[in-house]
Amino acid sequence: MTEIPHSDPGAGATPGVVHLPAPTAFPFLMALGLVLVFASLVMSPWIGVLGGVLAVVSIAGWFRNVLPREAHEDVPVAIEIMHYVPMHEKVSRIEVSERHRAQLPLETLPISSGIYGGIAGGIAMVIPAEIYGILRFHSVWYIVNLLGGAGVGDWINPTVAEMSQFRLSAFVTANIIQGATTLLVGVLYGALLPVWPKRPILLGGIIAPVLWTGLLHSVLGLVNPFLQNRIDWPSFALSQVVFGLVAGYVVTRLGKLKRLAQLPLAVRLGVETPGLMHEHGEHQSGHESGQKGDGKE
Amino acid sequence: MSETTIPIPSGAVASERGTYLETIHSWIVTVDHKKLGIMYIVYALLFLVIAGVEALLMRIQLSAPNLHFLSPQTFNRMFTMHGTTMVFLVGMMILFGFGNYLIPLMIGARDMAFPRLNAFSFWLSAFAGMLLYFSFIGGSGLPGTGTAPDVGWFAYAPLTERAFSPGHTIDYWTVAILANGIGSIGTSINILATVFCMRCKGMTLMRLPLLAWIYATMSFLTLVAISPLTAAQAMLMMDRYLGAHFFDTQAGGSAILWAHFFWIFGHPEVYVLVLPAFGFANEIIPVFSRKAIFGYPAMVAASVGIAFISLSVWAHHMFTIGMTSYGNAFFTLSTMLVSVPTGIKIFNWLATLWGGRIRFQTPMLFAIGFLFQFLIAGLTGIMLSISAWDWQLHNTYFVVAHFHYVLVGAIIFMIFSALYYWYPKMTGRMLDERMGKWHFWLMVIGFHMTFDLMHIPGLLGMPRWIYTYGADRGWGTLNMLVSIGGGIQGIAILLFVINMVWSYFKGPHAGPDPWDAWTLEWSTASPPPVYNFAREPVVESRRPLWDLKHPEDPDSAFD
Repeated sequence: MTEIPHSDPGAGATPGVVHLPAPTAFPFLMALGLVLVFASLVMSPWIGVLGGVLAVVSIAGWFRNVLPREAHEDVPVAIEIMHYVPMHEKVSRIEVSERHRAQLPLETLPISSGIYGGIAGGIAMVIPAEIYGILRFHSVWYIVNLLGGAGVGDWINPTVAEMSQFRLSAFVTANIIQGATTLLVGVLYGALLPVWPKRPILLGGIIAPVLWTGLLHSVLGLVNPFLQNRIDWPSFALSQVVFGLVAGYVVTRLGKLKRLAQLPLAVRLGVETPGLMHEHGEHQSGHESGQKGDGKE
Repeated sequence: MSETTIPIPSGAVASERGTYLETIHSWIVTVDHKKLGIMYIVYALLFLVIAGVEALLMRIQLSAPNLHFLSPQTFNRMFTMHGTTMVFLVGMMILFGFGNYLIPLMIGARDMAFPRLNAFSFWLSAFAGMLLYFSFIGGSGLPGTGTAPDVGWFAYAPLTERAFSPGHTIDYWTVAILANGIGSIGTSINILATVFCMRCKGMTLMRLPLLAWIYATMSFLTLVAISPLTAAQAMLMMDRYLGAHFFDTQAGGSAILWAHFFWIFGHPEVYVLVLPAFGFANEIIPVFSRKAIFGYPAMVAASVGIAFISLSVWAHHMFTIGMTSYGNAFFTLSTMLVSVPTGIKIFNWLATLWGGRIRFQTPMLFAIGFLFQFLIAGLTGIMLSISAWDWQLHNTYFVVAHFHYVLVGAIIFMIFSALYYWYPKMTGRMLDERMGKWHFWLMVIGFHMTFDLMHIPGLLGMPRWIYTYGADRGWGTLNMLVSIGGGIQGIAILLFVINMVWSYFKGPHAGPDPWDAWTLEWSTASPPPVYNFAREPVVESRRPLWDLKHPEDPDSAFD
């Protein structure tokens, strides 16, 4: 027979009896009293008086109920034997070979590599964009204003001449947008590149940026037609590809770490917890001796 | 077949009945979390029916152009009372009811941390609801317009000032929400104290059922969100009775101030309501997929993340009010950010379903409906988070359709799922499965007919809160279909009510564990005795009942 584990009843407890808080009407009366006080604001002051009396009496009664000792009632415990019959008899296990198991990512890239990749890619992608801006409009600020102008609310449909001049608010906004986006995409690369099958640089460096450019090209006209007209799409696509290649290269160059997901949080945080580490060591032997099912029936 | 024998507390002692008067008395004076939980739920279901009738009256009025089924004044009262009732008297109450009932059972406790405060909170919220509805009898506004509040559930200033809303209709709304808020704060404190201080031995925070985690998060959010609302209500009362001018625009006050105060409460409130629905999904989807939940730590982190992010998105309700471009950009981005933790949740639920041996019983059907509908609700939410898009569609039926996709498609569907799942635990009887499936399919058909189509009149420019519209606007057919969908949902809910009543008396006995589940509430009798557990349980994993039923492969060996 298997019995659900229980802790021992508290010392001094009466066998076969459980102490529970005694029922009381004072919470009910106090709630009624308070609502009557509220109601008196829109009804009669006399209702407020009644509510006030009820509330005061209830407060006194409530205090007497819990001081000096909380009122209890003893409830007898009745035990009956129940039979638990699992609906599904057997636990099915994942049938996998050692080789299949080994394909799970045992190593992963650190988040920092994604951040470094994002920074490097973000700087690199500016180069083709600026080359375009300088060759076409003879200004380093055109590209900055094109990106940052979207976040400057009072700048409506500026001319090319205006966009070729330095503008502080657009400069700040462009840096925020570029910094945040490239960092986030870099982290995304760090997370995704190890699990993408085969040629991650091809996928992350060329195919994904080209697809992203195509998606943006098709929807930007609906969201912001002005921006759609001002963007030179070939150079935009080139910038995206440069970002993908540089970020992907940096991310993969920075090396991998062993995954620690199966270890306790304290161990992962590096907190010195000798007892926990000891227990973990014991469990570890259990892991090695048998393979865990997925808990699916 | 392997069989596990367990001594559990008998429900027989708890089910001894006295006279009707004794029974009523025992419910009034009770401090037992289970009875209070059931009272919360029954109270909320009563108001669900009332709010549903109000919605149907509005839909009849809007089903065709130029109808005069309701007067304009009555229509205003209907949408005000429907919104207020659904948020404060249905959503909050039923979710607190489930929390009250389930949390102590799930964490192996005998009761909530503060049983008397628990009773006080329930009764205060309950009486507040009655006070709100008493306004139909006792309230009076402009001559001939009187009775219930008629300013919308958000009660924008300066419409609520005495110059525009004389009489007492607004006062009923204000004091009822104030009192209800105090009850909500009491329950939230109780849930937090219970989750963090009353867990049984072995139940570390990383073994806590996800539902309990989510209720703790939701309670924290409630405490933060209710305070500004309470402050705003007090300020409004001062405006109306003590000569203050917080929201009086003609005396230097600001109507925008009220909007900020209200939505600092109002948007987190959406997450207060939807987080428990996520909690139900976290418990129900794994049991009916026969797999442990995927990504437990990520689910906890996502829940806490949602709570924090939701505190910084309130002004996306106010894009058309005229904020700076920086304000618009911030609230657009912060609103979009919510999609990250909610996306994590959706992926984890899908990963839990993936490869599972799914049982399509009624609780699971509603949970799967929730998954699809919540995803769509999230997508239209992201559309509306873009301020430029919102400028076009603000205060149209597109917005109404979006938030009903959240409130009905996600929250109400998961509440039904939870009721089918835990009704056997609460009553000892199973709900009828055939009626349950009818209920589900009628709800799905009615819901999609109503709220899918409701997006279209919104896109065509139909504003919210209008009492009627001209035949030349081209909205008539769509509105007729939307109203028919509402009627189908009404039939579905009526069937559910019949199922609950019939099954209570005639349903098959459930036994302690009808779903072959894994959390502690299923290790005691159905309904549980007043003391929950004869002895305090000790748990060694996130699925204590799994360990018990599968001693050859317990989770505790790997936890």
